[in-house]
Amino acid sequence: MTAATGALRHAAPRSALWRRRGVRKAATLYLLISPWLLGFALLSAIPLALALLMSFTNYDGLNLEYVRFLGFDNYARALTDADAQHALGRTLVLVVAVVPIGLVVQLSLALMLNQPIRLSALFRTIFYLPYVIPVVAGAWVWKLFTDPSGGLLNALIGIASPDVNIRWLVDYPTVVLALFTIWGATGGGMVVFLAGLQGIPAEYREAAMIDGASRVQVTRFITLPLLTPVIFFNLVIGIIAALQILVQPMLLAPGIVGLGPGTVPPSDNYLYAVHAYITIFVHQLFGYGSALLWLLFLVVVGLTFILFKTSRRWVFYGVEP
Amino acid sequence: MSLAIRPRASARAIALRYGPLLVAATAFTLPLFWVAVTSLKRQSEYNASPIVILPSVLQWVNYEQAVLLADFARFALNSILLSGTYAVLVVLSSALVGYGFARHRAPGRDRLFAVLLATLMVPNLVLFVPQFVLFARFGLTNTYWPWVLWGLGGSPFAIFLFRQFFASFPRELDDAAEVDGAGPLRIFFRVYLPNSGPALAATAIFMFLWVWGDYLYPTLLLSVNNTTLAVRMANAYVDPRGNPLQTVTMAGVVLYVLPLVAFFAFAQRFIVRGIVTTGIKG
Repeated sequence: MTAATGALRHAAPRSALWRRRGVRKAATLYLLISPWLLGFALLSAIPLALALLMSFTNYDGLNLEYVRFLGFDNYARALTDADAQHALGRTLVLVVAVVPIGLVVQLSLALMLNQPIRLSALFRTIFYLPYVIPVVAGAWVWKLFTDPSGGLLNALIGIASPDVNIRWLVDYPTVVLALFTIWGATGGGMVVFLAGLQGIPAEYREAAMIDGASRVQVTRFITLPLLTPVIFFNLVIGIIAALQILVQPMLLAPGIVGLGPGTVPPSDNYLYAVHAYITIFVHQLFGYGSALLWLLFLVVVGLTFILFKTSRRWVFYGVEP
Repeated sequence: MSLAIRPRASARAIALRYGPLLVAATAFTLPLFWVAVTSLKRQSEYNASPIVILPSVLQWVNYEQAVLLADFARFALNSILLSGTYAVLVVLSSALVGYGFARHRAPGRDRLFAVLLATLMVPNLVLFVPQFVLFARFGLTNTYWPWVLWGLGGSPFAIFLFRQFFASFPRELDDAAEVDGAGPLRIFFRVYLPNSGPALAATAIFMFLWVWGDYLYPTLLLSVNNTTLAVRMANAYVDPRGNPLQTVTMAGVVLYVLPLVAFFAFAQRFIVRGIVTTGIKG
């Protein structure tokens, strides 16, 4: 709306005609967003309400006639479920392993690619590529790479110390899962860091350098502080995503006739979302499984809230340039 | 960066700059390289001990086998159909909704937009389980309808991007079109859509990739007859005795991924432009 028409509007008397126009304008918005409104109602709001309802029952996914209301029994059960506690512990181990290392890798690569570099487009593509590789293909990549008989990893280690025969997916499944996750997530985070770096005016760095700051000092005292909002964004996204990891550990389950669809991953990779998935789709405990998922949802919301609270201490929200 | 204060790069500086990058690039590509190499080996070379690094004769026949043994074309077609339908629907619908949020005012708009952003926080599985129950109740499992519905409903993430993107359009465009008597839909289709080619393409590519790569939903919603290539590729190829053929499997994986990589490389400039304009993270 230009200033002229805005002024005209204020000058006009608030007649019935104008009010009708307001109603029409409101109708326009709701008409335009109606696909999402309908989708939200049918595919989000109603399912979420249903999920909440289910979590208080013994629903098995099939028989409505046997449904009983259990109150908070499912939630009480979740808190004493040894499998759920084990799975939560393994999930936290993975989050702690994957998120910080992942952030450091993404940030270092972005910092290196942000310099004037030959073939920078090629490097960017190489690091970005795993991010667009589908999870099934990625699982094959890592299953093959770590395979004891035809895999390259043991062969590489064998150069240094011959006669190694590590069964990675059996003995160290979490290491493979962590590598797979970091490898696959790097591209997405790196691009966001690169965009953030390009948003930092070059004058800041140049001024510091003229004042005699070294390259490391510029990175430490100029670039990184200005980048904290982006680091924070990637940290939150990374933690939320890592808490929900489900398909990767299932596909990496050891087995020779394929990725392990429907099979239970080894105990070390038995993550929380995997536990919920198996509870629901294998054991048909839709009610109990829904309670497990709502608890995960609460953890995600709670953690995000805490992260935002702590962000005030270390995220630099900057002064207007 | 001013040239005056930087001396000519020494050999050490060059090594420092490129060394870590080369190491990282090698680490990132080695696993992929190994898939490509394995896909060209004889099965006996794969099983050999000590390990055979490079195949003596490139076994292109593995690719032929990968296509023939798995009914590859049918699953690929399923994947293209499903991903394409979803991508087109979700981009159009999200763009329309994004345009609404960006350009039209009404009571409750900002609250609704906050609700939209809040849905981004809901874990996928929390939403999917009750959706699955509903799809099963209404007989939509084993059909492509869930993807059509998801597409029509739009993606909160894409809606958010399009809203940001359209908000940067000059409002004079709307005013001029309005003076010419164009309604909001007409303005959207005649002014906004034609001016957002790269953003539409980038979003469509990411949405296509998402369905092409998704393993979970087709596994749970579809059956062996109509499922996607992603689900098919989770099974290894086996010989008639049931022994796994890792070499043919890797050929299948390459065939599954290659179109995406090629498309991505081809469209990269396009996508990068889209990312810059919409701020897509992907």
